[in-house]
Amino acid sequence: MLFWIIVAVMTATVSALLLLPLLRAGGPSTVAGQHDAEVYRDQLEELKLDARNGLIAPEEAELARAEIARRLLAASATADKHRVPNGASSAGRANRLAQAAVIVVLPVVGLCLYLTTGSPELPDAPLAARLADPGDDIELLIAQAEKQLAANPEDGAGYDVLAPIYYRSGRFDDAISAFSNAIRLNGPSPQRLGGYAESLIARSGGLVAAEARKALEQSLALQPRDPRARFYLALGLEQDGKAVEALTAFREIVKTSPAGAPWLPLVNEHIAALAPADAAPAAGEAKLGGPDAAAIANAEAMSTDDRRQMIEGMVSSLAAKLKDDPANLEGWQRIIRSYAVLGETVKAEGALREGLAAFPRSGDGGRQLLALAAELGIDTGRAP
Amino acid sequence: MMVELGHYALVLALATSLLQAALPSIGAFRRDVGLMASGTSAAYATFILVALSFAALTHAHVTSDFSVENVWANSHSAIPLIYKFSGVWGNHEGSMLLWMLILTFFSALVAFFGGNLPDTLKAHVLSIQALIATAFALFVLLTSNPFARLVPAPGEGQDLNPVLQDIGLAIHPPLLYLGYVGFSVCFSFAVAALIEGRLDAAWARWVRPWTLAAWSFLTAGIAMGSYWAYYELGWGGWWFWDPVENASFMPWLAGTALLHSALVMEKREALKIWTVLLALMTFSLSLLGTFLVRSGVLTSVHAFATDPRRGIFILVILILFIGGALTLFAIRAARLKAGGLFAPISREGALVFNNLILTTAAATVLTGTLYPLALEALTGDKISVGPPFFNMTFGLLMLPLLFAVPFGPLLAWKRGDVLAAGQRLFAAVAFGLLVGAGVAYAQDGGPVLALLGIALGAYMIGGAVTDLVLRSGLGKVPLGTAWRRLSGLPRSSFGTALAHAGVGVTVIGIVAVTAFQSEHILAMTPGQSTEAGGYALRFDGVKAAQGPNYTEERGHFTISRAGIVVADVWSARRLYTARRMPTTEAGILTFGMSQLYVSLGDDQPNGGVVVRIWWKPLILCIWGGTILMMLGGAVSLSDRRLRIGAPSRARKPVRGLPEAAE
Repeated sequence: MLFWIIVAVMTATVSALLLLPLLRAGGPSTVAGQHDAEVYRDQLEELKLDARNGLIAPEEAELARAEIARRLLAASATADKHRVPNGASSAGRANRLAQAAVIVVLPVVGLCLYLTTGSPELPDAPLAARLADPGDDIELLIAQAEKQLAANPEDGAGYDVLAPIYYRSGRFDDAISAFSNAIRLNGPSPQRLGGYAESLIARSGGLVAAEARKALEQSLALQPRDPRARFYLALGLEQDGKAVEALTAFREIVKTSPAGAPWLPLVNEHIAALAPADAAPAAGEAKLGGPDAAAIANAEAMSTDDRRQMIEGMVSSLAAKLKDDPANLEGWQRIIRSYAVLGETVKAEGALREGLAAFPRSGDGGRQLLALAAELGIDTGRAP
Repeated sequence: MMVELGHYALVLALATSLLQAALPSIGAFRRDVGLMASGTSAAYATFILVALSFAALTHAHVTSDFSVENVWANSHSAIPLIYKFSGVWGNHEGSMLLWMLILTFFSALVAFFGGNLPDTLKAHVLSIQALIATAFALFVLLTSNPFARLVPAPGEGQDLNPVLQDIGLAIHPPLLYLGYVGFSVCFSFAVAALIEGRLDAAWARWVRPWTLAAWSFLTAGIAMGSYWAYYELGWGGWWFWDPVENASFMPWLAGTALLHSALVMEKREALKIWTVLLALMTFSLSLLGTFLVRSGVLTSVHAFATDPRRGIFILVILILFIGGALTLFAIRAARLKAGGLFAPISREGALVFNNLILTTAAATVLTGTLYPLALEALTGDKISVGPPFFNMTFGLLMLPLLFAVPFGPLLAWKRGDVLAAGQRLFAAVAFGLLVGAGVAYAQDGGPVLALLGIALGAYMIGGAVTDLVLRSGLGKVPLGTAWRRLSGLPRSSFGTALAHAGVGVTVIGIVAVTAFQSEHILAMTPGQSTEAGGYALRFDGVKAAQGPNYTEERGHFTISRAGIVVADVWSARRLYTARRMPTTEAGILTFGMSQLYVSLGDDQPNGGVVVRIWWKPLILCIWGGTILMMLGGAVSLSDRRLRIGAPSRARKPVRGLPEAAE
């Protein structure tokens, strides 16, 4: 409130300052030429002084005097010519308009611009006052802890305090370095390893990557029932497309957790999302049963066995989808190719047969399937 | 609340500026005294408001209020108090606010001292000043608001750039801005004259003191910046022809030209149109300089990319003011009456020569500065127009000018006699050659060009003295008379002599350092000694030390001459902890006007340290000369003749020539 009162007083004072000359209007203005005459008179004075002091030769002084005198004459003439009565018109409409402008412009421009750019509700926050009454000023606590750590960089306890605060205030890079310093100085613990992994995951936007996984596994080795580590590892499985394993892992967490544990709702959400995955496919890309980019990237890093497993998983889910919706030419082509790559000729032939049932040999689709089969070396004879 | 009140004061200053831009100007066209007078009040009000705003920001910096983004980004609770103050303008937003503060300060000065100006001229000048202030206030508020807040407030600031944590920063920008912005008054006067279509004699009398003041400040600012770069950057160089330096040097060159052409205009009413154009150009270059330093007009296409609004805003301001003023000039210049005639050989002629060279030099520097930037922006090619380009072109341009400087004051107005002036300068030439020969003897030879350069500097000093001697009639009239005459000389004569001698001193410094400095780079282990400039330096070793917000390694050197210890010096490498940024603190020892400059480099694997030692003969002459120039400006400014009486209002019509015709 006080703020707005001061704002009002400021605005009013400036308005008054500007209104004063307008209200006092009147009195003649000076006239063009009059000032010039003054300057030339001044110059003549100087000239006289210079001549008296012998600073200028007499003949030069005479010439200069003549020149200045000529100008003075001209200026005086101008002054007379311009001498028009004025002041009468000045009290008129323009003056009142100007007064109105002063009264309107200052508060309107002032408030409009201030309200869009300012933050009137924010109080000052000088550091001394904040230090005197820190309360729950997290930023300040961080700064103080940082200062202590700067003075004593090997203080492991400091990192233990600071790291989770960094994490909570979203400074993940700082959190990562603080957690790793804490691990280095205080030794690994599920708390520190889990926090470290969590920060890494948060920084990569939720992806459980190799470095985080390593830390989580290390944490599990220290405390096998740590729900946080198990949750993130399960999440990692889910992100890799290992739905079955992920589901098992999530169910395991539920089984080992006490009833009413705070993380259960989240875990159950994942279970609910995973469990019906192959029964009710989502729209779009999922319709084709194609792996997403992350899954492909993961597949490249897998061992041959793992990869084969992943492909088989995908193929079986694709087969299920095609059973429900056979009018999917691309899906048939993909599944035939997949069987062929996996070396399961019989299944490939079976898929071809089923595909041809949906897309007759005479049609475009059928011919494409047959061409593919021929290319892959699948016997097309047995097909209908 | 202080912060927000400061913010509101700035917004209100913008609103007041808007009124100040509109009302007096309308008043001038309608010859309405009330409206014109409101400009004066508005000028005071704007200045007070911006001052309040600046005070609020300063308060936030001093109390480390990190809820203000500007404080958080440019301050730290641990830095010494003085840097909390100077940190206010040690950043883009704050320095723009300082710019505004100085601009409105000058407007208030015009309002205060402008009683002896024709009403309409004063009204127009205040209007133009307000227009500039409005543009800057909008720029500050919309793109670079120093009062932006942070929620939640961070617990610690990010520190002031360590290079800027120096007493030099506390002084350099305000001086520089006083110079830059001082020229805004000349600009406003020029535009006002163009709008009115007439140039009063009062105009010329007014423009000169403003030019003098701005020029003196700019001289001081540039010199301070140069000295600061010299001792802080640790390279031992004092001028790098870097765009930032050129940006302040160009308005200085144009301002020097303006200073001289305004003289011709005042005395002889000649060169009117040219003076107006120079006034426009000088401030245009100041504007360019202001912006070239920060987001850069062209420097960084990148800075535009990070905040395109800022860059576009700057371009609009530049186009509006420079383009607008030049357009006005093109349309109205023809209406201004050209005045007084003069012969080519005359004081006027000499000043025209001065103007030609100075503007050419400014154009050369402008080309050298902008061309590589423009080329990079257009084609992506990086070329470097380095010191060799500038030294060649600029040096060659300056030579004839420097030679001609002593002639100027000796030539008569209208018609001069070069031969007579040359004869009178005989002593100065002889003095110059003598000094050159003396240096040759002392240095045991040396490059001929360098000796000639020193002779040139000495000749300029001699020339300045000659002028004073001739004017006082020393040697021709009795001593007492000469003394009376000398003390009766107008102050501006002393100002001229001081400034011209200052140029000579600076020339001597530049030539001496360039030709006779010696550089020694070597790896030193504790206890080792080396020679530089006739002094022996012993490296005593390095020890760690701790400052308020930095840690440093300081090396100690003992300096002796002919076996006797004369001095010792510390030279340090600092690491500012908050930004993890290293700086060098060179150890500098002064012997007369010469200096020994010791800078610590990297550690060597064998336990030694790379040490760079420079012997800089007469280097202080460079800045000593600029101090003389500045003093010359100040002395000229105090000349009684620059203060003119105001006609009393409503007096009887001026008639005839009362005493003049006697």
